This record gives sequence, C-alpha cells and structure tokens, in this order.
Amino acid sequence: MIKYLSMASAAVVLVACSGGETPAQPDADTSASVLTDAAADTETRTAGYSETRNAYFGDMHIHTRNSFDAYIFNVRRTADDAYRFAKGETIDHPSGFDMTIAGGPLDFYTVTDHAEYLGILPSMNTPGTRLSELPRAKDMFSTDQDKILAAFQGVGASVRSGNPIDEMNDQGEMNSVWAQNVAAAEAHNEPGVFTTFSAYEFTSVTSMNEGSDNFGGGNLHRNVFFKGAAPDQAFSTLNSPNPEDLWDWMDDQRAAGFESIAIPHNSNVSNGQMFRLETYNGDPLDAAYADQRMRNEPLVEATQVKGTSETHPDLSPNDEWADFEIYDRLLGVYDVSATKGSYIREAYQNGLKLQEDKGFDPFRFGLVAASDSHVVGGAYAEEDYWSKVGIVDGSPITRGSVPFPGSPDWDNQPDNRIVTNAREWFSRWSASGLTGVWAEENTRDAIFDAFRRKETFATTGPRMKVRFFAGYDLGDVDVASAELAKTAYETGVPMGADLLGDGKTPSFLVWAMRDPNTAALQRAQVVKVTSTGEAVYDVSCHVGTPDPVTHRCADNGAAVDMTTCTATGEGAAELKTVWTDPDFDPASRATYYVRVMENPTCRWSTWEALRNGTPPRPDVPQTIQERAYTSPIWYIPASE
Amino acid sequence: MKTLLKEPLLHFVVAAALIFAGYSWWSAKQARADSTIFISSADMERMGALYTAEAGSLPNAQDIQGMIADHVRNEALSREARKLGLDEGDTIIERRLAQKMTFMISDLAEDNTPDDQALQEWFAANQNTFEAPARISFKHIYLSQSNETRATTMLQALNSNDANDWRKMGDAFMLQREYVDLPSRETVRLFGVDFRSTVFELQARNDWQGPVTSALGTHLVKIERLEPASIPEFEAIRPRVEAQWQEENRKRQNAKSIGEIVSRYHVELEGMDRK
Repeated sequence: MIKYLSMASAAVVLVACSGGETPAQPDADTSASVLTDAAADTETRTAGYSETRNAYFGDMHIHTRNSFDAYIFNVRRTADDAYRFAKGETIDHPSGFDMTIAGGPLDFYTVTDHAEYLGILPSMNTPGTRLSELPRAKDMFSTDQDKILAAFQGVGASVRSGNPIDEMNDQGEMNSVWAQNVAAAEAHNEPGVFTTFSAYEFTSVTSMNEGSDNFGGGNLHRNVFFKGAAPDQAFSTLNSPNPEDLWDWMDDQRAAGFESIAIPHNSNVSNGQMFRLETYNGDPLDAAYADQRMRNEPLVEATQVKGTSETHPDLSPNDEWADFEIYDRLLGVYDVSATKGSYIREAYQNGLKLQEDKGFDPFRFGLVAASDSHVVGGAYAEEDYWSKVGIVDGSPITRGSVPFPGSPDWDNQPDNRIVTNAREWFSRWSASGLTGVWAEENTRDAIFDAFRRKETFATTGPRMKVRFFAGYDLGDVDVASAELAKTAYETGVPMGADLLGDGKTPSFLVWAMRDPNTAALQRAQVVKVTSTGEAVYDVSCHVGTPDPVTHRCADNGAAVDMTTCTATGEGAAELKTVWTDPDFDPASRATYYVRVMENPTCRWSTWEALRNGTPPRPDVPQTIQERAYTSPIWYIPASE
Repeated sequence: MKTLLKEPLLHFVVAAALIFAGYSWWSAKQARADSTIFISSADMERMGALYTAEAGSLPNAQDIQGMIADHVRNEALSREARKLGLDEGDTIIERRLAQKMTFMISDLAEDNTPDDQALQEWFAANQNTFEAPARISFKHIYLSQSNETRATTMLQALNSNDANDWRKMGDAFMLQREYVDLPSRETVRLFGVDFRSTVFELQARNDWQGPVTSALGTHLVKIERLEPASIPEFEAIRPRVEAQWQEENRKRQNAKSIGEIVSRYHVELEGMDRK
C-alpha cells in the first residue's frame, strides 16, 4: 500500500496545470466607450444580456480520464461528465463517494486535459488496441508496483523533457481524443445558459537536473483556450517544452483563424521561472517578447488547489494577509520552489521596472482562478472538500486532515509515505478557486472578450462579486445612486484597463458584494504596486472607516467557534467606496488591484478534523479568510 | 481509539449479526472450498476503526451493513480477478483488482435501446428526475440597510398613482434590477435561501410588495410572473430521458453482474451462526 502511494505521489506533482493568456493591450484607454461597443446587436442577444455586464463564474481548469496523471489514479469520468457536474448533476469520485458542486451550477466550465499523451493511457488499458500490446502498457497496468512506478515515471519524465516515448506518441490517437474533447465542449455550450471552450493544457516543466527520471521541476504549465473553432491538433511539450514556441504556434493559429489565449498557472511552484527576467533560453527580454507574451497570455491564474500565487510573506513582509495558503513544493518532489520570480505582485513590480528602464512590460496580465481538479469536478467549499488526485488524496487520512489510523492525535505519527505526502503536499492544498468575469451575456464571445479585456477577478472559492473602476470624475459620483454601474462605465475604466494620466488625481470606485451562501465580507483593500514598492490600503470596512494613518480597518469582531465551525459576529453584505490614493504621484506608473476579504471561516482540514472528533492538524491554519483578487488598473502618466 | 471502540464494537457485532439475516440468499448457493468469504471479528474491528477514522463518527447499523457488503463485494471481485490470472496480496492491490473488475464489467454492459413504450413507462415512474424548476420574473428595488420607514414610504410611493421611475429608486444594486424566468436555484445563488423561500410564496401582482429580506439587504419586489415547477412533456425531452435511461441501465447491469459474482461466494462471520 505504501509503495503504491509513493508512486502515486510522484505523479501527484504532475497534476499541476496551466492557464490561458491574452494579447498585449496598447497603452491606450480602451474601456471608456465600453457601453457602446458591446459586440452583440439586439437581435442576437441572449436572455440576461446587460449593458452594465453580469458577473459570471466558472472553472477553466479541469482534467478527465484523458489526462495521463488522472487515469493512472483511477479517474474514468469523461469531459461529458465534467460538464454535467458543472451544470449541477452529481457524479462519483474514483474513490466511490458522490461529488456535487458547491454553491450551485457554474456559468462556464472548461476541460483542459494534458495534451501530452492525451487519451493514450486509456487506450493502453483497452484490450485489443495496438497501445495495449506494448510491454510498457503491461507494466503500467500490472500489479507490480515497481513496474507501475517505472512506467509512469517514464511518462512524467518524457512530458518534462519534451523527448517523446515514440511507441506511445500516437498522434492519430491523440488527435482523435482531442476531437472528442472538442465535441463534448461543443455539445454542452449553450449560449445564454452555459459556456464551454475547447481547451487543453501545455505541460512544460523546467528540469532540476538534466537526465533525471521523474517529473520534478519548476512548473511552467499553461492552459490554451480557443475562442471558437479549434485546430485538429494541440501543440504540446512533445513539440517543444519552450512556452515561447507555444506562443509562435498560437500566433500562427490565430492567423489561420483559430483565436486563442493561454493562461499560466502555479507560478508559485515554478521555481522562479514563470516570471523570470530572461527568456526560456536565458536571453535578455525585449519588446518583441513582451508583445508576444501579452498577446498570447493576458491572464494568469492567481489561486487554485495547489496554493495561491498572489504574493509570499517573504516578498511582502508588510502585508498582514500575505501568508495565505502558501504552497511551495515543486511538482512531484518535496523540494522547495524558489520564491523570487514565482509571484504575481513581484511580477507586476518587475514589469513596471522594465517599463521604466527599457520601455516594455511583459507582465501586464489580469487575474483568474481555477481548481485544477483531476477528478472531473472541482471542490470549492471548505466544508465539502475532496482535493484533486483521484484515489491518492480521496480521504481525510490520505490528505492528512486527521491522524493516521491507530493514532488518536498528532503526536507520534508513523513515518510512512502516506503521512509524509500528506504533510509535504496534500494537507497544504486548498479548496480553491473560481474565475469571475464581467460580461454582457453568458456566451463564448462575450466571456472570451472579457478575458481579452482582463475584466476578470479571481476568488478562492466563494462567489463574491467585485467591481473596480478608476476615473477622474468618479469622485463626484453618488455611490448611492441606483445607476452607479452605468455611471461608472461612462465616467471611468474598469478592471483590466489602463488609466491614462491627465495631471489630476484619479478616484477609484471599489464595490464588493458578498456571496449570499458563504461568509459575509470583512474589508476591501487596494493593493498598489510601483517600480519601487508596494502598499496595501484598507479602503472599505464592515465596521467604521479605515484609520487615516495606518490604513487599517478596526477589528470587526468576526470569529469562528472552533467547536462547531460556526461563524460568530457580523459582516458586511456590501462594501462600497470611492477612494483616492493618499500617496498618489501623477508622474509615476502604478498598478492597482483590489483584494476583498470574507470573515474568517474554518479551513477544510478543520472541518474534516471536527467531523472526525480529532484535533485539527497543527501545522496548517485552522481558519482562513476567503478572498477575491481583481485584475489591476494600470495608471500611466500623461508625460509618457 | 481502542478504548473508544470497545463499546461500539459490541454494537457493531450485534448489529452485524442481525444484518446477516438479510444475506441469506448468498448461502443458498452451493458452498465450495474457495467460495467462502470468512469475516473474522478482527476484520470487523478493523473495518470499524477505519470507518471511525475516515468518517469521524461511529458506524450505525446501516453503515455496518454497507461496510460488510463492500468488503464482500471487493473480496468476491478480487478473487474473480485472480482467477483471471492476476495475483498479489495487499489491500490496495485487492481494491485495485476489484476496481479493475468493475471497469471490465461496465465495459461489458450492453447499450440497449428501450422501445417506446418501455421508455414512456420508465419516464412516468421517474418523472420527478426531469422536473423543470419553478421560475420567477420580477423587478426589485434594493435597500442596502434595513430601514422600515424608508421601505414603507417607498412602497406607498410606488403603489400610488404618482409617476415614479422605479429604476432610479433605492440604492445601487451591483447586478440586475429585473430578472426574467429566473430558475428557483438561481434565486438562491444570487440572493440566498431566505429570499427564495419568501418570493416564491408571494403572488404575481400588479403592485409592489415587500420588503423582502435577502442575504444582501432588503428589497421591494414586483412579481411579474410565477411559474411553478412542472414535469415536461415526454416528447419534448425524449433524448434526455433516453440518456438517463441508458445511465440507469448501465448501473443496473453493473449491479446485476456484480451481484452474480458475489452470489457465487458464501459468507461466514466469526462467532455467528450461518443462516
């Protein structure tokens, strides 16, 4: 059993996924006219169309049986099952229990199976196929754990290195499975009701040591999303592990009529590579690199099951909320990822420095979130969590929220692979996350356009809604006015856009509304990043107003009764304010984004311990504050 | 954990004995030397401990029945898999074998297509599964702070003959002020459970009603249309019915195949007379 799980764990790390990207935005304010250039004309609008845009929620990062690192852990559900789960149907986890989506159906959902060896393992395990006759297939599905481990590690190493295992690299089979995933997305896409995209994951990993025979390394995964029709074949690491080659391919596909974006994910475990200040091959960055990266990767995943990538306490020592669901183990191993070059806020700052020094910024991306579930259905609620690696982390014992059987508490846990993997990996994973988009209607075009505009926000699971605008006349707007959203679009720019300087001090409208079915809100913050520093301002509080010197809200008294996981104290249904930056410098670029905090709630590991009647795991937090992060608004001085 | 289980274990054994009365059909089968599944009290203690650790509570009679049935099923399936030439000894392998056998069985399940009459009868018997949700069309005015006087005054103004632009009244609402044919569960997603319960109890009327409380504040509402949950016509959703039937059919066939395998085995429980 232990041996089996050690092989499982080796694979677990692979289970990291990718995100999508959007093209670079010019340094021009494109959003002021937003209300008039809505794409759909009246006749083709779907029910629910709104000029002032609706908040839609979705998960764009889901694996099914066609991903090699899902199938090996007994995942047998398909893309069709995935979409049915997102629409509210109950499906089963490979460990046998039922999974139903928390918080009701989602508005959009996307299957992103690994392109490398897409659908090859299922074929290897199907009698009568050519692939099932391979000696490797016999090993992969034998009962000898050493053989399974060796066969599976070999696949992981191939995905990482980009050196194909020729006998398994059956392009015809992969294309046909890709066509099945595309067909499932088409079948479930229902304009006005539910949106899907054809998508896959590009599974690039940097090597820690050349020639190593496993998957260990820095995560450079991306998910690639097609706006409409998709090409017949997916570009994978078996074509090239270099993400810049992926961008070249996407540029070519775009020219051929297949518009797409790629979204990187888990920069937190990229070993400093996701936002490094060199190209993949170690050359200096230049304007062409920045243009191509922004054209193809306008968004980045900020939070998912394998932790958050916003910032790290070592990078943001003055941010009291920075130490949140930090996960730092490289894929498939226990080694710790380098911090510098791995986090979003630092990338925003480095982008501004590059802009000042060299005139380009390759890191002007917006934010989204996803689960990266490898069991077809995402687990977004702390009180109903099932992690993501099939049978490997499908129970409280294997993910370490309860003591190993035989021990009544956390002292003297046995030294075995299950306990170690739970300590290093699974216990530190998160019930996260979801993407929110502001779009006129729930259609592919409207949602994809929102991705391109970066009018998106990331949440750690709840469906709180956040609007964020900047403008020079917003200070005069009555925030109580019934038509506030319309006014804000008419007088300002929304999240994801640039605000061009005109010598005046801008005002920011920060507006958050709670998820009616999760905890109430505690505070809304603006995070400001410049080329020389960062600052976190509380701007709207549940109780009172922020202290003008410390920029902090008073304690609102919200807490959690740890004997029942019941929330105590009140919170806000809405937080809404017009804010001006007390340290504004009209001559300096600055990047502003909003972070909204819920009141504290029990972490998933605490819920599971409570149900088990054992003490919560001591080396992870007992409570968390769920949160949302918006895409930034970039202030650009008039003189530039 | 040992002491914790002392007492419950007694319950466990007693309840297991009772439950085994229900499994008499197993023993009706011919007993062969390799077709007996013996469950010792140590096995039961282990199952009880595992259950307690995983579920966080002591097993009740139903749980015990489930555990024993699972155990028997896994054992029977893994023996069957071994007969096909696979062999190894630890728990994970056995579970894997049973799972493999299960997959094999489901691959074998035939894709039957039911005839018209059978499908219609099945639909009639299972129509609740296909219920179309209740829907509501309404306008609302949002008041972010609960304020009885303000709500009452506004309601009077709205229902008077004076010209009022409802769209400009109340506080800013971040989402929409008017919803058309919103399914019941969407009202929960947007406004919370309490709001749903309240508005679906109101009548569709020409005047404004309220205030209605939600997780977001209070609302004055004008209910334009209320459509109760309903069962769609068979013909309108025939493809869905057939897909569902197929899914059920697969499950039924799988359960049947597994039942047949399990029934080849004979179950004995230590310390208990066979029935």
